[in-house]
Amino acid sequence: MGQQIFIFGAAFLGSAVESTEALTIVLAVGLTRGWRDPLMGAAAALLTLAVLVVAFGQLLVTTVPESALKLVVGTLLLLFGLRWLHRAVLRSAGVVAMHDEDHAYRQAVSQLGQAAATRDWVGFVLAFKGVFLEGLEVVFIVIAVGGAGHGFPAAIAGGLVAMVVIAAAGLLVRKPLARVPENTLKYGVGVILTSLGTFWAAEGMGAAWPLDFVSILGLAAIYFLASRLAIALIRRPALA
Amino acid sequence: MSFLRSAARRVVGLVVGDWLQSAVVVFILAAGWLAVSRFGGPALVIMVVLLAGQLVWFARADAVRQSRL
Repeated sequence: MGQQIFIFGAAFLGSAVESTEALTIVLAVGLTRGWRDPLMGAAAALLTLAVLVVAFGQLLVTTVPESALKLVVGTLLLLFGLRWLHRAVLRSAGVVAMHDEDHAYRQAVSQLGQAAATRDWVGFVLAFKGVFLEGLEVVFIVIAVGGAGHGFPAAIAGGLVAMVVIAAAGLLVRKPLARVPENTLKYGVGVILTSLGTFWAAEGMGAAWPLDFVSILGLAAIYFLASRLAIALIRRPALA
Repeated sequence: MSFLRSAARRVVGLVVGDWLQSAVVVFILAAGWLAVSRFGGPALVIMVVLLAGQLVWFARADAVRQSRL
């Protein structure tokens, strides 16, 4: 039960971050070119992503032996989590500017202004492309977290709930969700995914963790401390 | 075509930010696999410490590299 909740939480948080970025693109397109085509583009992208989750998820779980699945998925999840954590460390230390949804929104609107003279399906394509590319990370998180931990329903539920919550929030405010603590969320999810990846990769090697799933909390503490050490070593005044 | 290229770049970019860092992580895991089968728990601890250590090392190296730009 604890493992399922953890899987749900990891999928929810990871998907929430990416959904916020996808929402910014859809809002930028919808508010400047009208809603019909961008919404159709977003729906088509979500459908494509759902097909990817079901197809690759089933393929992985049914054809790959459990230990190999844990080793491969654990390794990929570790690399994925480390990438997010690495970026979060650089942002927290002030080396890289914080991700800003308002800035991303303004940039997208300005690009749309330049493309205004082109055909009608621009809104559809831009929304499709934005949602699909941002959604690839959600697909990866859901498949990796759900597949290796026997928790596909929990992972898919986490991803879907995050998407619905962010979409509903976007519908209400009709502007980029700049108040979502995206950088902090990415930092936290980076720590969680790196820990899960390490846990499963080691299980795939045949190692047995003391206290089983609870060890993930210990791993998270180690990675968090390492990231704080890295931030302390490279800290600079925050960039705008 | 540019969309497919973006998608392919995004898929590779999911797990690879810095090729050297990714290679080091894979190397630590491979060495850990061998060590865990021989020495068990202590090898697991060393593997985790090395993984955490490379995070500090590469973040610092990246920060130094960016400060020179």
